[in-house]
Amino acid sequence: MPHFSLREISLCIALSLPWANSAFAQHEHSSSDFEVFVAAEAFHGTRQTHREDADPWVNADVVFGLTKHQFRVFGEYYITPNERDLERFQMGFEFVPETVLWLGRFHQPASAWNTEHHHGQYLQTDITRPYIERWEDEHGIIPQHITGALFESRQSMGKDGAIQLSGGVGAAPALADREMDAIDLIGSNPGRHRLSVTGRLAYLPQYVGASSTGLLFGHDDLSVSSARTLASLHSNAAKISLYGAYIDWIAEPWRIVAVNYYVDVALAQTTRNESFMSGYLQVERQLPRQFTVFGRLETSARMQESRYVASFDDADGDIEIALRRQALGVRWDYTRRQALTLEISHIVSLTQTSNELRAQWSAAIP
Amino acid sequence: MSKIAATAVLVTLLTATSAVWAAEQLVLIVSADSKVEQLDSLEVRKLFLGLTVTHNGDRLRPVLDEADARVKEIFLQNVVSMSDTTYDRSVLRLALIQGQIKPVAYKDIAQLLKAVIADPTAVSYAWAKDVARDPRIKILRVLWYD
Repeated sequence: MPHFSLREISLCIALSLPWANSAFAQHEHSSSDFEVFVAAEAFHGTRQTHREDADPWVNADVVFGLTKHQFRVFGEYYITPNERDLERFQMGFEFVPETVLWLGRFHQPASAWNTEHHHGQYLQTDITRPYIERWEDEHGIIPQHITGALFESRQSMGKDGAIQLSGGVGAAPALADREMDAIDLIGSNPGRHRLSVTGRLAYLPQYVGASSTGLLFGHDDLSVSSARTLASLHSNAAKISLYGAYIDWIAEPWRIVAVNYYVDVALAQTTRNESFMSGYLQVERQLPRQFTVFGRLETSARMQESRYVASFDDADGDIEIALRRQALGVRWDYTRRQALTLEISHIVSLTQTSNELRAQWSAAIP
Repeated sequence: MSKIAATAVLVTLLTATSAVWAAEQLVLIVSADSKVEQLDSLEVRKLFLGLTVTHNGDRLRPVLDEADARVKEIFLQNVVSMSDTTYDRSVLRLALIQGQIKPVAYKDIAQLLKAVIADPTAVSYAWAKDVARDPRIKILRVLWYD
């Protein structure tokens, strides 16, 4: 049974103060906001599959923001029955409109999926996220949480369009036993944390729109902090270089998301680097009566040959490393800010082939 | 005599028509104390979608008028050009992505006007008939008319 530490409680109280008194906020010309994204999920799987860390039966994602003059504070606190994490906590200064320098813990900008959906299930049409985009504590193989500085800028280009530039520099996670340990702002931090440099350059056809296409880059120097991983990799460090391209295009009633990553892994005690590719294509179509159907194809190349990827595989043969997946589902936004989603998937993993069925209720509060 | 009668009828009709005209104008408003003199359509759209819009270094604060269902419908169609659901998701998306603050909404026009008058950085919209004679409110421009 998890316990809340005094530090966590103090942090929550401190972060709650700004929106506790809206009169104060208005008088001081500051603004604050508070959203909670909640979801509950039922799961059924064939073979040895069962509910994983990525599928808590219930979760809440608390997002809070405070703006005063050019200063901004922003955080995301994720709660499940087994996990409580301050996923993001950023303090920023907005030099000019839509150009912000943040300090803190952030989601690295080289992920096409996570920078759009973060931990909030309600704004994600489907239930599952592509395997390559998984978080570190879900046996994800790409570092996602960095602690350091993040620069973000969106500038007009042409009549309606914009160019978006994001760059992050900071401390990467450490390679622990079958998963990565990102720096925890309110907990302990075992292992050494080396440099992470990540970035994104994107074109937006509309400055105020959600469509974009762009290039992604990441370089993470990961230090191995586990004896088992050290023995498995024959290396005390792994340098991950990621190059990607993506498109996220919305032309209602259609939405298409296509992403491809090339990942190079350099291990310290070997002369030959490993590399693999992973990509996915998701198509969504809105239907009458607030229904949306969606389908996603995930595929990879050379992932099954990678010692680095295998070092994340769970010993009990769970579905942890998906090489390919086909997912199909339907979502029904049956009332304001609440949705029901059904998703079926066929998965080919490192060790087996299986099918999964998920049903989810998701909502945004207030 | 008939000419006089016809003129009288025309004047009466014009007066009535102009009263309806004024009632059917949705206008962009700020406090009379605001330094803002004009905002173009893109700035208005950015502002109400939750993006940062500044004027003389001050960050402007969008205030939504939800006192009247028709005003909300016109705002969605003509200002942000989105359906209610898409607009709601866009604002939620920005809150999730970078903690952008959602616009404050008022369901009572008197409360809305009070909030706009009190804050020189607030920007909102209302029927022209509700604000035309209020010296504490500055009308920037007509957003929609019928």
